[in-house]
Amino acid sequence: MEVRIYSDLFLIQRSDVGDLLSDNQNSAAKRQGATMTAIPQQVFDFLHSSAPFDQLCDNDLSPLAKTANLVYIAPNNAKELLAANKGCLYLIQSGQFSVKDSDGPERHLSDGDYFGINSIIDGVDYAIDITVDSAGLVFCLARDAVLNAMENPKIAAFFNSAKTDALQNKAVEDSNSMWLYKPLSEVISRAPIQADTSTSIHAAAKLMAEENVSSLLLTEDNQLTGIVTDRDMRNRVVAVARDLNDSIATVMTAEPAKITHNRTLFDALSVMSERNIHHLPVVDRISQQPVGMITASDIVRHQRGNVLFVIGELSKAQNLYELTRASWQIPHYFSIHAKRPGDFDIAGKVLSQATDIMTRKLIAFFQQKHGHAPMGYCWIVYGSQAREDQTMGSDQDNALLLAHRPNEQEAEYFTQMSEYVCQGLNKCGIKLCPGNIMASNPELRLSLDDAIEEAQKWVKQPTPKAIMHFNIFLDARAAAGDVELFKRLQEARAPLLKQKMFLAALARHANEVDVPLSMFQKFVFEKGREIKDSIDLKVNAVAIINNLVRLYALESGLKMPSTLGRLDNLPEESGLSQRDAANLRDIWLFMNRLRWRHQLTQSVTDNCVSISELSSIEKHQLKAAFKAIDRAQQAAVMKFAGGMG
Amino acid sequence: MGFLNQLWRRLSGHSGIPIPQAIGAIQLRDIPILAIDLELTSLDPQTAKVLSIGWVSGKGNTVDLSSCYYQVIRAKGDLAQSPVIHGLTDEEVRQGTHVQQSVEAMQTYIGSHIWLFHNTSLDIGVLNQVATNLGIYVPAIVTLDTLKLAVYELKKQQQVLPPNSATLSVCRDRLNLPAAPAHNALDDALATLTLWFAQQQKLDPHGKLHVKDLQHTGAIEVISLGKPPQNAT
Repeated sequence: MEVRIYSDLFLIQRSDVGDLLSDNQNSAAKRQGATMTAIPQQVFDFLHSSAPFDQLCDNDLSPLAKTANLVYIAPNNAKELLAANKGCLYLIQSGQFSVKDSDGPERHLSDGDYFGINSIIDGVDYAIDITVDSAGLVFCLARDAVLNAMENPKIAAFFNSAKTDALQNKAVEDSNSMWLYKPLSEVISRAPIQADTSTSIHAAAKLMAEENVSSLLLTEDNQLTGIVTDRDMRNRVVAVARDLNDSIATVMTAEPAKITHNRTLFDALSVMSERNIHHLPVVDRISQQPVGMITASDIVRHQRGNVLFVIGELSKAQNLYELTRASWQIPHYFSIHAKRPGDFDIAGKVLSQATDIMTRKLIAFFQQKHGHAPMGYCWIVYGSQAREDQTMGSDQDNALLLAHRPNEQEAEYFTQMSEYVCQGLNKCGIKLCPGNIMASNPELRLSLDDAIEEAQKWVKQPTPKAIMHFNIFLDARAAAGDVELFKRLQEARAPLLKQKMFLAALARHANEVDVPLSMFQKFVFEKGREIKDSIDLKVNAVAIINNLVRLYALESGLKMPSTLGRLDNLPEESGLSQRDAANLRDIWLFMNRLRWRHQLTQSVTDNCVSISELSSIEKHQLKAAFKAIDRAQQAAVMKFAGGMG
Repeated sequence: MGFLNQLWRRLSGHSGIPIPQAIGAIQLRDIPILAIDLELTSLDPQTAKVLSIGWVSGKGNTVDLSSCYYQVIRAKGDLAQSPVIHGLTDEEVRQGTHVQQSVEAMQTYIGSHIWLFHNTSLDIGVLNQVATNLGIYVPAIVTLDTLKLAVYELKKQQQVLPPNSATLSVCRDRLNLPAAPAHNALDDALATLTLWFAQQQKLDPHGKLHVKDLQHTGAIEVISLGKPPQNAT
């Protein structure tokens, strides 16, 4: 047998080691070039789990992966490795690093985070300062490959918005009600009534009458060429005494506005208002053949059909049985209709309005049996119902405000009424308040004077315990009864609640709960939860924002309870910049969407959203949101508590 | 080469070839590394057949992902239980290429690179068989074993090692490296290479050690592949 001997090793001993090594490496690469297409699965796995590259398929990821270097960055080699991979986008797979890669502040980064993107976007080599807090693996993605990937608009949008530190939930801007975003294909109920352009005016009018429609599509070879409406019949036929045997083509509107069936009701509405028309033909996107017609009355019907339907059913209820039956439809209604992010934005409002109606209905049922109230009263709601951000898990928080201190008999009436209403709400699915913040609690049936006196007490002695207890009463709204009573209470309370000492105590309270993010921007999970990687978005996010916004609102004397309403109405000199206010609004909506989606998709009523429920991009958004909340907390402590958190 | 000498080497698992001075004097951070992993039909080097082979090279804490190589090897006979472990089906294995092609592709890394394995003796044992069958002789290759390094570190702390305390994934976990999918030759090679980077960092935090400084760990070894031609000795 012929034996080949490979003994390059001994060559090395005779020559300059350094040169030979690099030569050998080069030649190795050259000789093998063609067969080197393999990419380890773990590289794909990691890139697939990292926003925004999770949006690319394997084929598009390959060029990024192949040109990447994977480096193990440790304290002693960090500078050297970054220099050797200059201009790259650095994506952290493991380890913890403190990085300053642009004008911004130092950032604490860990797995899934990036740095160096600004250099790529701006085409400028910013110096990167890095401190290795714990060594780990970092992908250095080649500049050209990243720029190439950024030709995908989603990838570009991700990095561009990351650069401006804007929150990435741009979708908030187009938040709107559910019905508006229904695709037209779901809305169109029947095939369009259509006729050939050669049809006579008379035959066309006859067809419209038979089909009971106010407009008719006219086609040639099944392609839309015109439209004729009732109005055209009046103006162009009857008014000018036109010959009914003329072809319909002589009076139709040629080349009418049209819309493809994949667009939404909202798009249709926009076209219709822009063109000032009431009939809009819908055509197939590909074949351009007419598939239906959207009319102004369709839009009105859909607008009514959805959200107001639930509320309408509640209002129609004649007794407790009907009311509870309608109430129990609400969760079904949401799980069927609330699908898009914008839906969740109004879901809380719909639920709160529904709860208001239930309350008014229950009071009416009680009064039918027991007669009218012996004095003026106002049913006040607090917390989430007041703010109109109820979720499926929200319990009831309410109280009664009475015109004056009741005598024994009057007191008995209100005891029974509040007992009936609170139990009734419970039957309708609005849970009893475990903290007993309910009108059925005698302590929460105060006269106006007593309520004002109580508010003075809180403000005089804002102990942390008292603040925790009274925080909930600061978001209040009248849901039934004499609204004037409530207004008088608010008038009397507003100047008290503006007082600096009280606000300082509130600010310190608002700072007590931290966002669940570690210094290295890892999510922090509370121990002992059933689902380990879950975060309570109510306690750890939404409530903090509510608390912060309430502070600014109280200081400015705003009386509305809803967080978004307060943000919209803060005066310019409130100390919260418009940009911060807009940011908090976006974050609030984003958090709310997450918890609504969690409740609807998991069929639960808690707010403990599991991180594994989130997409990669949502995880990034959530981290950005937590960071922004943290900044807002610090700012509020500075402003209201003189920095003493 | 005396018979006793050979026997001692076989028993001790050491080839006894000294590390060439030129290589021994290179700093750890400057030495090119080729991490190799073989997926085999059995754990016995005498009978095991190569199912697939993967490697990736790197140097100075940097993995060159463009050097990744992966090849399924054509094998005859019963694959026994290994398809279950490696995920390679009979069909894929029959369509693989001859092991010779991969061995030839590997030649380019002889002499220039330290060959890195997680458990050198098994993979080298098999490569030795392959080389013998193909009539190839490589007198000396410097190899490095992440498993032996891990055991060396562990033994500093405890005398008796618990079972499975030095598997690739356990070793990675101990050094806070992310979990990697196991039992694909290329993935394991990459996992081994990054494990070495983390081990190197621990051994040599200031970047001062040379290849020869690893000798006391027992993880570095010079081996030969195949049988020397009769007329050459």
